[in-house]
Amino acid sequence: MTKGNSNSKIIECVLYPVPLLAFIIIWYLATQGSQERQFIFSSPAKVLEAFWRLTQSGELLQNCKVTIFEALVGFLLGTTSGALIGLSLWYSSLVAKIAKPYITALATVPIFALAPIVISWFGIDIYSKIALAFLSTVTVAIVQSYQGAMAVEPRFLRLMHVLGASRGQIFRLVVVPSSLIWVLNAMKLNIGLALLGAFIGEFISAEQGLGFMIVKASGLYDMATVFVGVVALIVIALLLTSLVEQLEKHLMKWKVQ
Amino acid sequence: MSSEVKPLLTIDGLCFDFSSQAQAIEKPGNQILNQVSLTVRKGEIVCILGASGCGKTTLLNLIAGLLTPTKGVIELNSQKPKKRLGYIFQSDALFSWRTVKDNLLLAADIDSSLDKKTIEQSMLQYLAMFHLSENILAKYPIQLSGGMRQRVSIIQSLMFDPELLLLDEPFSALDYYTKLKLEDEFSHFVKERGTAAILVTHDIEEAVAIGNRALIMNGGKLQKEFLIRSEAVVMERGTSDFAEKYSEIWTELKSVVSEIQ
Repeated sequence: MTKGNSNSKIIECVLYPVPLLAFIIIWYLATQGSQERQFIFSSPAKVLEAFWRLTQSGELLQNCKVTIFEALVGFLLGTTSGALIGLSLWYSSLVAKIAKPYITALATVPIFALAPIVISWFGIDIYSKIALAFLSTVTVAIVQSYQGAMAVEPRFLRLMHVLGASRGQIFRLVVVPSSLIWVLNAMKLNIGLALLGAFIGEFISAEQGLGFMIVKASGLYDMATVFVGVVALIVIALLLTSLVEQLEKHLMKWKVQ
Repeated sequence: MSSEVKPLLTIDGLCFDFSSQAQAIEKPGNQILNQVSLTVRKGEIVCILGASGCGKTTLLNLIAGLLTPTKGVIELNSQKPKKRLGYIFQSDALFSWRTVKDNLLLAADIDSSLDKKTIEQSMLQYLAMFHLSENILAKYPIQLSGGMRQRVSIIQSLMFDPELLLLDEPFSALDYYTKLKLEDEFSHFVKERGTAAILVTHDIEEAVAIGNRALIMNGGKLQKEFLIRSEAVVMERGTSDFAEKYSEIWTELKSVVSEIQ
């Protein structure tokens, strides 16, 4: 690494927390000395206090575990099945044509609108939250994977055709690997959507999870706990996104090189 | 080249109209081929020259089976061409997610009857023939220069041991010296192996340097044919012998090509 590069890395590292610190300082200054403002906006100190309390009692960890489990299972089911469906649509333009309006319809329905139906079908346990996370992610995976499959470079298809490859071989050796970048993009988008699906389910009806914790705390005007829940959701989303990025680095190593 | 030798490829009365293609892989436009007939013999490099859009690439795509002719016959060894002709495109078609080695061994993934050890040996022989080091095998295509990628592309298509190679301006994107080197390596290969090649090119010098015959295409028809050399010998470019022997044909070809362009 050159000196210039290492200097810019150091500057980057120093600058990263600046917006966050600025936000915390402004928040602290704006709420300091006013009980009313602290009641409405909470304050950094109160959030830290709530974080400590919820960590000590194990409540935060338990709720995080539930939300992560629901989101992760929904994410894996939704992304995997969506990617398989999307890629398989490459096989038949007729099936793709017929499927298109249904996929568009499913993609445009707000997940909030589906939540009451899903909860009444699957109950208030984790299954309904997994189903909502699944529904939030499956359409994105279908659309992205199908677009990836259709965007395969024509010269690759021509080469395989000339070499006498079967349709199955073209699918396995060209369509799937060249669409991988699209599937990975779908995964990145789906992390947030899976959390949103699980959260909406918990928000509407649940007995555990971060959504439940946030709804309960907001009902009690405990804004500090609400902030802890929001920050926990952000941290979970960042961690899961970084996992997908690691997977991307591993699978797309030819690009990195 | 003796005329008694049975042609490897025979094309007779080939017609093509893009509007009749229902399931074309690519539809670059509504080009037409009109009554194209030609033969190619083993060990021969036939160059096809002509203005853009005159049907040169369409002709290659028809021979390769990527398009279906409206009318006419294409026969390789008196039979309908089977798959596995070698087709080398203007830009390489190497899979970016595969290493050079995996790209070269694509043949084994497509045809499970091929013995992997044998084709690995062929791969090493071809690497040496095209002056490529074994060190590149672990690399990805993105890490190679344009000339190297095109060499790897040529080797990739040779791994199936094709009888006929179709080349669509494969050297046009390369720098001048890499192009000269690769053209010479390629023509040596064709002569040594006794395979045949149809080379689509805009470059008259290239046609004169490595071709046995040059066919001029215009408006979907073969307009004129030039015999450049009948002997299976590779001339060294830059020698006075080369300049002397081929200046006349070069001038003649140039005047015909500039007339139609």
